[in-house]
Amino acid sequence: MDAGHALQAKSLSREFGGFFAVRDVDFTLHRGSIQAVIGPNGAGKSTLFNLLTKHIAPSSGEIFHEGDDVTGLSMPALAKRGVVRSFQISAVFASLTVRQNLELALLRPAGSAWDLLGRVTGKRAIAERADALLERFELGECAESLAGNLSYGRKRVLELATTLALEPRVLLLDEPMAGLGREDIGRVTDLIREVGEGRTILLVEHNMKVVADLADRITVMVRGRILAEGPYDEVSARADVVAAYTGQGHD
Amino acid sequence: MTMILGVPAAVLFGQLLLGLINGAFYAMLSLGLAVIFGMMNIVNFAHGAQYMLGAMTAWLLLTYLGIGYWWALLLVPLMVGASGLLLERFVLRRLYRLDHLYGMLLTFGLALVLQGLLTNAFGSSGQPYSIPAELMGGRNLGFMFLPNYRAWVIAASLLVCLTTWYVIERTRLGAYLRAATENPMLVQAFGIRVPRMIMLTYGAGVGLAALAGVLAAPVYQVGPTMGADLIIVVFAVVVIGGMGSIMGSIVTGFLVGLIEGLTKAFYPELSSTVVFVVMAVVLMVRPAGLFGSKPEQAQNHRQVLDGASTSPRTQTIQFLVMAALFAAAPLVVYPGFMMKAMLFALFACAFNLIAGYGKLVSFGHAMFLGTAGYVSGHAAKSWGLTPELAVLAGTAAAALLGLASGWLAIRRSGIYFAMVTLAFAQMIYFVALQAPFTGGEDGLQAIPRGHLFGLIDLSRPANLYGFVLAIFLGGFYLIMRVVGSPFGLVLRGISDHETRAQSLGLETERFKLVAFTLSAALSGLAGATKAITSQIATLVDVHWSMSGEVLLMTFLGGVGTLFGPVVGAFVVVAMQNYLAALGQWVIVLHGTIFVLCVLIFRRGIVGEASLLLRRWSARPAAAAHPAAALTPHRQPAGH
Repeated sequence: MDAGHALQAKSLSREFGGFFAVRDVDFTLHRGSIQAVIGPNGAGKSTLFNLLTKHIAPSSGEIFHEGDDVTGLSMPALAKRGVVRSFQISAVFASLTVRQNLELALLRPAGSAWDLLGRVTGKRAIAERADALLERFELGECAESLAGNLSYGRKRVLELATTLALEPRVLLLDEPMAGLGREDIGRVTDLIREVGEGRTILLVEHNMKVVADLADRITVMVRGRILAEGPYDEVSARADVVAAYTGQGHD
Repeated sequence: MTMILGVPAAVLFGQLLLGLINGAFYAMLSLGLAVIFGMMNIVNFAHGAQYMLGAMTAWLLLTYLGIGYWWALLLVPLMVGASGLLLERFVLRRLYRLDHLYGMLLTFGLALVLQGLLTNAFGSSGQPYSIPAELMGGRNLGFMFLPNYRAWVIAASLLVCLTTWYVIERTRLGAYLRAATENPMLVQAFGIRVPRMIMLTYGAGVGLAALAGVLAAPVYQVGPTMGADLIIVVFAVVVIGGMGSIMGSIVTGFLVGLIEGLTKAFYPELSSTVVFVVMAVVLMVRPAGLFGSKPEQAQNHRQVLDGASTSPRTQTIQFLVMAALFAAAPLVVYPGFMMKAMLFALFACAFNLIAGYGKLVSFGHAMFLGTAGYVSGHAAKSWGLTPELAVLAGTAAAALLGLASGWLAIRRSGIYFAMVTLAFAQMIYFVALQAPFTGGEDGLQAIPRGHLFGLIDLSRPANLYGFVLAIFLGGFYLIMRVVGSPFGLVLRGISDHETRAQSLGLETERFKLVAFTLSAALSGLAGATKAITSQIATLVDVHWSMSGEVLLMTFLGGVGTLFGPVVGAFVVVAMQNYLAALGQWVIVLHGTIFVLCVLIFRRGIVGEASLLLRRWSARPAAAAHPAAALTPHRQPAGH
């Protein structure tokens, strides 16, 4: 396999009781790019995403990360290789404070997750990294609030910050704009572009303006298969892509 | 006489018939559990008590009103089912938006109340209920003798099971039920009154349990405890089958009964534990159960309880104050009480480590307390080990048991985890009952206290007190450190959102297993020390009611708080000591406290107290920053 590809799927399929949510998909995430997967509801975007991050296991097919076969790896093992995802429904640790959310993410890379007797607050390197993230994502003033009590927009920002805490090389964002107001969308778009420097990003997104703003390449999925792939302007102008969208409701 | 694999044919068929009879009851009860769980997401722990209530009511009707079997078969399910309707309407309905474990805890409390009340009224011994005249006698089938009543039970239960299956899977009413299980809001929008439907479903499930009770009355002894042991086996059946389908529950019930019957014929020693062995095997090869599980619904409206994080320094000060208080306590309090309470407090703190911080609520923690007690008792008595080595041996045994049972149990979470741990603990109970070195019903008596390190004589009260105090404080301090450690933070994160923790590269199963093993080891430390201190090790410490007690202590004191379990343990032990004269009423009281804890007191004593304290101290600040009142303040870290 080509090591220049960050993630690559070969004839990937996932079946749910006779129904193929993803069928025989070949997909490549190019290193250093920002790519988006779009498609009408039920097209299999989220399933593809869950397959690529090993949240669910494929029925058949293979997945490669930088040339290595990672089909059999677990989600934690993939995360350790630098492939980290976010979730559609904002996933924060609700009963922990914002700072603790970040500290928790920082523990494993710092080699401290298995420390049973030390104090989290005693790890200087972790505290400094947490402070830097709090500042960069403008979360400083709610650092001691419980994450579960944050506004929806803040939760998404926190989730992005937590994901970034791992310094991932490949970042998979599942509908990062879902449920956000216009103002937050602008902020999160800027954040994603900013963190995209030197990283590979794949996002599933319904908001076409965001996709047009961010993505170098887009992949259109319909009924579990890939319909089109290429630069945004080129693909979005294709008649079959437009038909797939207008024929099956707008998004 | 015909022999089959060394067993007389008549014996084999007799045991198979008995297995089918047991299987019929497993099937009817697990069917009811599955229907209720499917509809309400509540594991109805009271199901065994409601089955018992059915049998008891039939017996009462016959004894006091002269109403016979056939009328009872009709009336009792209606009466007990009606009590279920009231229970759903006025109590259970409040729980639907909470974690499913609260439903299990509340119905566990109700089961205790029912069992305690009826024991008070009628004693704990079983009452005979005679077979109705029409079904007396039996027929000779050539290869075996088939009593008519037993044939009737199997036929009647099959009819009941298949009718239930038909109603749910093949009728319009059943279609509504299944739809409401999937999406209650949508069905409500179609103009169907879902709350009433849920109420009727629960009533029907309870009525089914009562019907099983009436059918069982002439087969088994009718008594207040007849439901408790049965329900644990039924939980194992439910884990094996998976509660994913109605037919699955029925098939699994009969299957497990038959397996039990076969075991009784060929290897009777294993007959009471074989169900749990089967469960372990199923967990290994097919964790979701033979027929697939109905997943627990995600908790969308989960309420975020306050973090209540106190700074390490405050914790250390609180710990030192507690140490000083307990060291001085023998001056004013009976030392025997203090030692007992401290060891139960350690047990509860160990339980809280996994239940409070890991959100893995075990219903079988007594197995660690009891096993360690037996092992350390045996080590001190038969091997002549010094007390510290005996305690170490007990702790190690509990840790090993924790590792093995945890390895299997953490494959499931939530209510399934609770049922799996309960079932394993019941298996250990049966092992303890039968194993040669535990002394069976008598337990281990006159365990020597010996000399600590061969030097310090533990038969002197002051030395013994110091020994227990040191163990309690040591264990508590360890738990306090673990909770505040990076590992503790990971554990809390996993209990909040396991998938997210995995996506951050954390192998959550390993963390859970280590936490579970640690909790088991510390429970064992308490149990081992208790055996040396009290000089006995008995079945009481491995019984499911002990697992219930540690749940009670922890939830009463405050689950997920550091000092809550200590407070809860002292209250519960004090209740036992000073209210011992009340006999079975103590059980009723326990059950009532459970119900109250779940309904109005979910943070427990310490949780509620610290919330009040924080609200009170945050009042001036709240005027300026309304949000500040909700979030605990913490010292900025490290600088």
